[in-house]
Amino acid sequence: MEEPAIILETLNLRKEFGALVAVADVSIRFQAKTLHSIIGPNGAGKTTYFNLLSGNLEPTSGKVLFKGRDITHQPVHRTIHMGIGRSFQITNIFPNLSVLENVRLACQALGRDNFRFLRTASSFRRYEERAWDVIEKVGLKTRALTPARNLPHGDQRKLELGMILAPDPEVLLLDEPTAGMASEQVPELIALIQEIQRGGNKTVLLVEHNMNVVMSVSDRITVMHQGQVLAEGAPAEIAANEQVQTAYLGGLYQLSPQKGQ
Amino acid sequence: MAEISSSRSLWERLPQPLRSNSGVLTTFVLLALLPFVIALFEGKPPSAVWANQAGTSKFVQGLAIEIFILAVYAISYDLIFGITGLLSFGHAMFFGASAYLTGVMLKSFGWNLWTTLGLVIVLGGVNALLFAIVLPRVKGITFALVTLGMAAVFHIVVQSRELGAYTGSDVGLQGVIVPDFISPASQRLRFYFVALLLMYLVYLLYRRFVSSPTGRVCIAIRENEGRALMLGYNTFYFKLAALTISSITAALAGFLHTLYQPIVTPNVAGLGYTISALLIVLIGGVGTLNGALIGAAVFRLLDFGLRRYLGESASFVSGVVYVAIVLFVPYGIVGTWYLKRLQIRQGWTRLVERFRHSSEA
Repeated sequence: MEEPAIILETLNLRKEFGALVAVADVSIRFQAKTLHSIIGPNGAGKTTYFNLLSGNLEPTSGKVLFKGRDITHQPVHRTIHMGIGRSFQITNIFPNLSVLENVRLACQALGRDNFRFLRTASSFRRYEERAWDVIEKVGLKTRALTPARNLPHGDQRKLELGMILAPDPEVLLLDEPTAGMASEQVPELIALIQEIQRGGNKTVLLVEHNMNVVMSVSDRITVMHQGQVLAEGAPAEIAANEQVQTAYLGGLYQLSPQKGQ
Repeated sequence: MAEISSSRSLWERLPQPLRSNSGVLTTFVLLALLPFVIALFEGKPPSAVWANQAGTSKFVQGLAIEIFILAVYAISYDLIFGITGLLSFGHAMFFGASAYLTGVMLKSFGWNLWTTLGLVIVLGGVNALLFAIVLPRVKGITFALVTLGMAAVFHIVVQSRELGAYTGSDVGLQGVIVPDFISPASQRLRFYFVALLLMYLVYLLYRRFVSSPTGRVCIAIRENEGRALMLGYNTFYFKLAALTISSITAALAGFLHTLYQPIVTPNVAGLGYTISALLIVLIGGVGTLNGALIGAAVFRLLDFGLRRYLGESASFVSGVVYVAIVLFVPYGIVGTWYLKRLQIRQGWTRLVERFRHSSEA
């Protein structure tokens, strides 16, 4: 297999909050069309790192390159236009709007009709049709007209996934997509993410705490610890890495025997 | 049968926005007929109304004109506060600046009415830009305070002695010369129709705006601005669009206000006038648009009624009423109706049935 292209990379990316160094000179290269997981204990800087990638935070120093282009200082509303979609650890939706409207807004954002205020939004059929497709894909078709706040938590996570799928980004940053989900719903969502990644030829960056999930779905894994990269490699290499075992896996998580070494 | 089908085709030939707002159209027609109906109650022929003869009808027209102007002003506040979620305490500046500009241009510079109107619209845009300058830097209550500051500066400027020759300082601008064809004294019915038409058109435009792609994003900004940004919307431009439309609308209301009164007092630029808009929107229902219109009527009629029967103590009583409304009807008249219309209808049916039973027995 030839070496795949690097779609996203960070060079010595650093973020300080006062005296706290949340992300300390992190350089990671993400290969296109792979599922790359970032793991690490709480406070390792994973979410901060995502916030730097998506433009929600300005880095103290360092660079973010997307397809070789410097996007470090792009404002947050440009990120999705370049093809990077991002979901949040804490559900971040429009609670009082319907599921359909949540997704429709995500579709409309990429069009050129945002300032046509003399026509009704429903007369722009393509956004609504696209929204219906996405809603069907994430399995919320029967709840489409429900206000988003009335959805059970698991469905809200699906809605959030739908909202970043709607504009069809090349790179998806998923920050703990299964957080707070009932455990029996997790495999369904993970299967959906895998299908999106493989079927849509997308690059997925995944922050996840469920080690079984991470080990089974990832092409590559980066382990972060105290704002730094501790190790990087294929799942088997990570599971075998002694440093990782002691610093992280051994302490907080026990790998199931058939997956671990 | 032939008549029905022809009337239906006439109905279908109406532009879509008119048809989809049939309730609004009915209200518009009823309001257009109101001056004549009142004259009939008084025993006067409609021709007397047409000739602008004094009487109850002319008086009611005057009150209604004030309500229409107030309604246009209040709905413009609902667009930024209720729909877009921007809390501004400087809204009176949009209204007051235009009211003063109209007065000064007509009185001191002898400008033609239409050029003045054009300038008023330009002023509306400029005012919106002024507020928008601080938009990217301040959010929430800070924006409210900055706009409060801007409006306070304007309020002080119009009262200043240096500008007294134009604005009349703290007494206000008096004796604005209004062209005869729209004079509120001799052509009140015409003025009534102009104000009614303005309110109607503004309402239709706002309805459309709120359901348009732009308006939907404004609602999304109110619900969760951070998410709207993440979806790829540069929220600044949407807030600017809402501010501009709102400001121009308020400016048109101010324009009509000067023509109708024709006196401009510094009150219209003060904080109290912003609070009026906020109260009207709260009474009617935040973010409902038609609530602003209903709220304006309730606000003005309550004020009028209390002042008439209580005199000086009216403002105390009206204050108590507003507190009661905010406490007990927190979603406003229209908002509560939307939330509870099923229960209200059921309760009504039960009431009617009970009445029927008791009358049968």
